[in-house]
Amino acid sequence: MDRNSPPPPLPRRRVTLVDLVLIGLVIGMVMYAVYTVNDVLVYNWNWNRVFSFIVRYDEESGRWVANLLIQGLLTTLRLAVWATILATIIGVMMGYWRRCNNLSLRIISRTYVELIRNIPPIVFIFIFYFFISGQIFPLIGLSSLRHDSPIMDNDLFRFMFGDPRLFENFIAGMVCLAVFEGAYITEIVRAGIQSIGKGQWEAGRAIGLSHFNILRDVILPQAIRKILPPLAGQFITLIKDSAIVSLISIQELTFLATEVAATTTKVFETWILVGAMYFVLCYFFAYVFAKLEQRGARSNR
Amino acid sequence: MKLKNIFRGFLIAPVIALLGVGFSSVQAQEESVLVEIQKRGVLKVGMSTFVPWAMRDKEGNLIGFEIDVAKKVAEDMGVEVEFVPTQWSGIIPALLAKKFDVIIGGMSITPQRNLTVNFTSAYANSGQQMAANIELAGDKSTLEDFNSSDVTISCRRGATPCTIAQKMFPKAEIRRFDDDTQAFQEVVNGNATATISGAPKPRVWTDENPDKLFLPFEGENLTRGNEAFALRKGDPDALNYFSNWILLRTDDGWLKETHDYWFKNRSAWIDMVSIDQ
Repeated sequence: MDRNSPPPPLPRRRVTLVDLVLIGLVIGMVMYAVYTVNDVLVYNWNWNRVFSFIVRYDEESGRWVANLLIQGLLTTLRLAVWATILATIIGVMMGYWRRCNNLSLRIISRTYVELIRNIPPIVFIFIFYFFISGQIFPLIGLSSLRHDSPIMDNDLFRFMFGDPRLFENFIAGMVCLAVFEGAYITEIVRAGIQSIGKGQWEAGRAIGLSHFNILRDVILPQAIRKILPPLAGQFITLIKDSAIVSLISIQELTFLATEVAATTTKVFETWILVGAMYFVLCYFFAYVFAKLEQRGARSNR
Repeated sequence: MKLKNIFRGFLIAPVIALLGVGFSSVQAQEESVLVEIQKRGVLKVGMSTFVPWAMRDKEGNLIGFEIDVAKKVAEDMGVEVEFVPTQWSGIIPALLAKKFDVIIGGMSITPQRNLTVNFTSAYANSGQQMAANIELAGDKSTLEDFNSSDVTISCRRGATPCTIAQKMFPKAEIRRFDDDTQAFQEVVNGNATATISGAPKPRVWTDENPDKLFLPFEGENLTRGNEAFALRKGDPDALNYFSNWILLRTDDGWLKETHDYWFKNRSAWIDMVSIDQ
């Protein structure tokens, strides 16, 4: 039997009476909850004040321009993309260390994974942030960068990292997030390496390849195909987890939303809106990854 | 084999280097932050959004009493100003980690805080005021009425109101929230009896929800606060500079005038902040 054969397809979409009743009940309950919310909650709903923080009409230039919440969303997106790249590098390296011959490397990578997985993210990020921004950044000269130098003050830089003045702030959040998520990616990579059969290792050794060469040329290419779906899931988790770095005042969506909520005093509108923004972002990526996965599965056959 | 060893060396070296940095805190001879600000040409100010001290206008820019104060300080120093919006609960650690040079954030002087940071002389004296739910506390009129186990007081975590609530109403249950807005919403919803916050915020909320909230004790302040700039310890030069700046700006009336603009008359600036009221 082929181990990789797909599961049997789900039955055809046919709407039965049970489905109709169930769906009707769910819709009814949601509508009731919405209808009664103002009995439970004493609150003057006012969406306009919050909407104006997404986009606003600039009278000077006569155009619509992005306001705080869109700027925050872009920072979140940049944060997620860069943190994913860094976390993948950390994860692949540590994942390899987890299975390599050298004992000290195994100890280091194991310690890294266990330390991070067993500390709440908020606690970890709070401690780690003050460590890297207080000690590492001054050491590598990041805190003494000039924000108006031509390398930083150009459109490409703005597109990739956002406002140069917030660069250090951005990098701190990005590194925190990457080190945190890297631990989970490490475990995904390790599982991928372990999922490849013993025969592959033996075959590699038989033709005289070194341990490292077998891993790089034989095992990893096969493992990567297997771990792509969980990696995609981890990427989406990372987008959501990026909200945690608002604690260390990284100017991303959640942090700016607290500012907007404090200014407008419209708490519920702000958070419902921000929730919707996160949902759209994550759902979009989930959709893209599902499509990629389908394509990968087809080329596998 | 050789390649493998080199590869390993590359991987281990940075790890050891990182650990080394972590455990050895390098203590260089510290220069006054004033010198650093002049060299950089930028004064970095830590603050947190708190109406009307600091808030966002329609364009998303920062405005408010504190923002005006910080801009004026920078102007008098001949440097640019850069604001670093920071979560209130983490603002002191962020100052110590040198994320900014000074906190101009309506921080009131307390003995506990003063053990960790230095305070200048006070640049504002705002009182703490209480707003209460009409239904739950309409019959309460004295301080003693609120000091009872059936009273719940909500407040912003890590801020002065929580300390006041504990001290003045030890029998009441205290519920702490991350920001003021949640603390007020809890009272409007009837889940908390009252909340304490810096004036004039309780009055603003009471004006917006006249059928739900009222100001106990005829709106009189519970305490008088002393708000000051906060600086890292061990820098007498900066402390001297900022304290004297406050002294001079108090004497020439600039601080009082600016304070009155933001605190006395909301209609002067309310158009900048929201679309409708």
